[in-house]
Amino acid sequence: MTGIGPVEPGEDTRVRDTPPRPRGRLALRYDRHRRTVLASGAVLVVLAGGGYLYASRSQPQPAPPPPYPSQAVDLVYVAPATGSRGATAGAYSFTVLLSVRSGPPVTVTRLTQPYDGLSVTSSPAAPFQTKSHSARKIIVTLRVTECEKAPRNPGLPFLDVTLRNARAIEAHSFILGARYAQDLSRALEVACGNDSR
Amino acid sequence: MRQRSLIAITAALAAGALTLTACGSRDDDGGSDSGNGGGGTTVVIGVDAPLTGDLSALGLGIKNSADLAAKTANKEKTVDGITFKVEALDDQGQPSVGQQNASSFVANKDVLGVVGPLNSSVGESMQKVFDTAKLVEVSPANTGPSLTQGPDWRNKKVRQYKSYFRTATTDAIQGPFAAQYVYNDAKKKKVFVIDDKKTYGAGLAATFTEEFKKLGGQVVGTEHINPDTKDFSSVATKVKNSGADVVYYGGEYPQAGPLSKQIKEAGAKIPLVGGDGIKDDTFIKLAGPASTGDLATSVGAPVEELPSAKKFVADYKAGGYKEDYAAYGGYSYDSAWAIIEAVKKVVGDNDGKLPDDARAKVTEAMQNVSFDGVTGKVSFDEFGDATNKQLTVYSVENGAFNDVKSGTYTG
Repeated sequence: MTGIGPVEPGEDTRVRDTPPRPRGRLALRYDRHRRTVLASGAVLVVLAGGGYLYASRSQPQPAPPPPYPSQAVDLVYVAPATGSRGATAGAYSFTVLLSVRSGPPVTVTRLTQPYDGLSVTSSPAAPFQTKSHSARKIIVTLRVTECEKAPRNPGLPFLDVTLRNARAIEAHSFILGARYAQDLSRALEVACGNDSR
Repeated sequence: MRQRSLIAITAALAAGALTLTACGSRDDDGGSDSGNGGGGTTVVIGVDAPLTGDLSALGLGIKNSADLAAKTANKEKTVDGITFKVEALDDQGQPSVGQQNASSFVANKDVLGVVGPLNSSVGESMQKVFDTAKLVEVSPANTGPSLTQGPDWRNKKVRQYKSYFRTATTDAIQGPFAAQYVYNDAKKKKVFVIDDKKTYGAGLAATFTEEFKKLGGQVVGTEHINPDTKDFSSVATKVKNSGADVVYYGGEYPQAGPLSKQIKEAGAKIPLVGGDGIKDDTFIKLAGPASTGDLATSVGAPVEELPSAKKFVADYKAGGYKEDYAAYGGYSYDSAWAIIEAVKKVVGDNDGKLPDDARAKVTEAMQNVSFDGVTGKVSFDEFGDATNKQLTVYSVENGAFNDVKSGTYTG
């Protein structure tokens, strides 16, 4: 540190003109081909933009997968089957309506009921298929096999159905409601009413 | 010449840059706030839920899901000229606080519908306040049957309030559904029934008990707990000594978790079964590893199984919400969307503007709302109950709830 700063130009001094630095080879070439370079740059930018647009263009949406079968099917209780109101020889038949609201056809691969002391058959017998936007009536017959084990008075009895479509195979319970419960209870009462349980 | 070149290249660069910018902005509004909506008029959707305290895991899921519905409607400009905004109030799970919140919503003229609450007891305290003001309320979680069908719902169903609707199904189905599963599928025949004495818990325990007995099951003991305590050792001992092969608990997870744990610690290695109020991961945390095999029923099909829910789950994730959407997320979204649909109908019928009696009109429109929601078809019956009545049994396995059986009520 000397305390002396850089020499400034005074009244009779002047800054020495520095000779222009010689231009490099690249700069010289750029000067010669300026228009070509600029045009090429523009083309590159436009191409890049176009490429990006093409790559990010809206693709057609893939078709949504079909619904799970349990989400496409309705199963509702209709009524006791004609001529079988109440239990006949320990059996009770009733009609349910199975509708396929949407998606591909649905196959009922199994139809069961969860109670001990009862067995179930259906007409048509499983497996059977129902097309989309259509419905079919099914006659379900419950038979009392053991009154001691049969439910006394189920409030919201189930019907368990295994459903299959192109998406999945699912076991699903349908709770057919109060009318079914009453009809079933009445039939069980007739079938097992004199039972000593 | 040089100048012309510069102009040409500048123009080309600018065009390229603009093109790229435009492309980049296509999806940039995913995190739109509710202000980016359809225009001038702001409609507030109130949310009432427990946002603090033991039940906040469920309450925050309700709030966030309703918020997502509002943002989606704004982004998609579902109702032209209307921007939806969610304002949430914390009821702390307390009926008295819920009632105050109901009054606050009524006092805010911009509120045209309310999503909530979680608890049936809170719902009871709010219904009259809303009904007097003709302000529609759509609960995603109330399951007490009397809220819609009256106190004598077993014998004679009578609608209580025209302004009350819900997207969740009721305990009139949930209790029997659980009983059927426990008796028929899990093959449990002797139950010890416990409840927390609240509207939801006691009501659910009652509907379970009724069906379990009808099926031939035996109730070997009953107890009520105080939900303000976490020491259930004396009840646990009674369960152990009763010879029960299953426990049914009507209540919520903050108590159900410790109860399950203490029952197992007392030596009764039997499953605890509860309703939608215990179906939260917090239950498993509180109950510990011994909760494996415990069961919970909950409203609806598993969200992951519904095609419509896939988008909801993805959008919720993209929304950046800190908390899980929890048990009622899909139902909360659908509750909020039902309000949006009702507002849309009212605005559409009034030349694109809200009428002066918008609240009454929205309440009226709600009865006929019908759309494909996150949880399936959303519409309401003559009592204001959801027409979509699905339920699922979940079992605790490997530290998580896994669905084991679903059912649909079609009566």
